[in-house]
Amino acid sequence: MTSSDKIIIRCKDVRKSYGSGDTRVQALRGVDLEVREGEMLMLVGPSGCGKTTLISILAGTLDADGGECNVLGSDLRALGAREKTQFRARSIGFVFQTFNLLPTLTAVENTAVPLLIRGVARAKAFDRAKELLNQVGLGGRERALPSQLSGGQQQRVAIARSLVHDPALIVCDEPTSALDHDTGARIMSIFRDVALAAHRTLVIVTHDNRIFNYGDRIARMDDGIIMEVRENEALAAAS
Amino acid sequence: MIYVALRMLLGDRGKYFALLVGITFVSFVVTQQSAVFIGLMTRTFGPITDTGIADVWVMDPKVQYIDDIKPMQDTALLRVRGVEGVDWAVPLYKSLLRARLHDGRFQSANVFGLDDATLAGGPPEMLEGSLTDLRINDGVIVDTWGAHGKLAKPPASPGEAPTPLKIGDTLELNDHRAVVVGICKVSRTFQSQPVLYTTYSRAMKFAPSERKLLSFILVKARPGADLDALCERIKSSTRLTAYTKAGFRELTMRYYMKYTGIPINFGTAVILGFLVGIAIAGQVFYSFTLENLKHFGALKAMGASDGTLLAMIVVQVSHVAAIGYGIGVGVASLFGYLMSGTELAFRLPWQLLLGSAGAVFLVSILAAIISLRKVVKLEPAVVFKN
Ligand SMILES: Nc1ncnc2c1ncn2[C@@H]1O[C@H](COP(=O)(O)OP(=O)(O)OP(=O)(O)O)[C@@H](O)[C@H]1O
Ligand SMILES: [Mg+2]
Repeated sequence: MTSSDKIIIRCKDVRKSYGSGDTRVQALRGVDLEVREGEMLMLVGPSGCGKTTLISILAGTLDADGGECNVLGSDLRALGAREKTQFRARSIGFVFQTFNLLPTLTAVENTAVPLLIRGVARAKAFDRAKELLNQVGLGGRERALPSQLSGGQQQRVAIARSLVHDPALIVCDEPTSALDHDTGARIMSIFRDVALAAHRTLVIVTHDNRIFNYGDRIARMDDGIIMEVRENEALAAAS
Repeated sequence: MIYVALRMLLGDRGKYFALLVGITFVSFVVTQQSAVFIGLMTRTFGPITDTGIADVWVMDPKVQYIDDIKPMQDTALLRVRGVEGVDWAVPLYKSLLRARLHDGRFQSANVFGLDDATLAGGPPEMLEGSLTDLRINDGVIVDTWGAHGKLAKPPASPGEAPTPLKIGDTLELNDHRAVVVGICKVSRTFQSQPVLYTTYSRAMKFAPSERKLLSFILVKARPGADLDALCERIKSSTRLTAYTKAGFRELTMRYYMKYTGIPINFGTAVILGFLVGIAIAGQVFYSFTLENLKHFGALKAMGASDGTLLAMIVVQVSHVAAIGYGIGVGVASLFGYLMSGTELAFRLPWQLLLGSAGAVFLVSILAAIISLRKVVKLEPAVVFKN
């Protein structure tokens, strides 16, 4: 779509292991990855290959053991804990596999959370949250609690929440795996329509080969490294 | 985010009420138990409280508490009157005497003999008759609890309540006739003995013949006098000892604490109740935060700082603590109010309210901080785990 040639994520030889001694697991064995501004990158691969670990590092929620990782102009290794928290609040939108909405908050309140975290006044935050709920097709359901919404609707609230503070990078871990195929497909088109506005970049982890085709590029991981990154021919041909 | 914190707390009615009930229960137990304990301890020095007119109590140096009578020479009174800073000083007789009742039973009673001229040190409240009626021959004033209880006459017909002692009734004190001329109200005492007031000279008559009968000297200080300094002057110039009202109360309370074992045993129960209450409060808040750990993790991933999360938890905890404490103390007060006609010792001074409030809030905040450690150590990456 609006993908440019500007690189906004540049990872070199990123390593990460969990545990120590006999139980040590090498989750990332030297990941090299570049992500272009404004693209939707699908990160695919077998279970346990390190996908979640990699996007956690990109999003600044997990520290790598070694290698370089530059995201949106910040060298993540150089950021302290406090700066990393601010980095996440400012620049990252999150969509989780299990939605992770606060169960006692309404759709509009849940959507507004990233703005409230940044100290935006409540009225203003709610106005902006309503706009986004409209964009994801949930106008009229602003006051519903998560328990009153279907899985697909909850995931749309989560998408609205990931966009409400205009982050430059959105990371999603298996955003469709809790949804049926049709709903998953709808979620992906909402992503393409709403999320991929100018200069916004998405990295989406998925198992679900039915949604690979929504991505601009597909990065295939296996056993802690990126095996290949290829352009999505189908999408390129269609546009 | 304070808003979000309150929505998290209040959104789940069930959990919210469970929290409230926990803290209400703790506040109730802590306040109620301590109030009964304080009430009981207050009874140990009831007569000192009732004799509020005296600034300073003078007595034999070997006296250990209010009921420990070591009589002094009558001349002690003159020596005390001579001490600088003493406005006036009057004698007080106090002793446990045997009263013979109508039906021939014996009952020991706390007898006070008041200075004949001034009647200073009399009961705090007269219900019937007046203090000056003590000038009537053989007159005594009886406390209402005693009149209705241990000193009461047998029932008019069997199976009915005993007939209370009233003005004009007589009883015998050590074979001397005494006539009831008034009914008064006094603070309950620890042993709950009936209390009789009479004049000092009449008390001499009732008392078994002894050489010395002066139990205490009640001293009123000159306006503006430093009471501690006055006590020191009395001690050094009379070889007696002197306590301020508060000092004598403390001496008495300490004696009971140390030697009777009752306050200590009961105090242990109070402290235990306190600890159990604290454990419950801590547990309640800790589990609340743990249940919300996943949500705090999500907020943390989305960029909420540890400070923000701390503020959220503190808001949640203090909200529940404030409301639960209010209800708990309210229920405890109601309980005390409803039981006020009974033998139950219940006292709720503001210091206790402050103390139990402090304890409940401290525990709540402590529990919050302990649960916060979990939140702070939480890797934000856990939100990607399912
Ligand atoms: N907190 C952890 N402690 C120990 N080992 C971990 C931890 N998190 C992940 N691992 C291990 O690291 C490896 C990579 O895990 P990761 O979750 O990144 O894989 P994934 O590609 O996301 O898998 P899936 O598709 O099943 O979600 C796995 O072998 C996993 O068992
Ligand atoms: Mg994963």
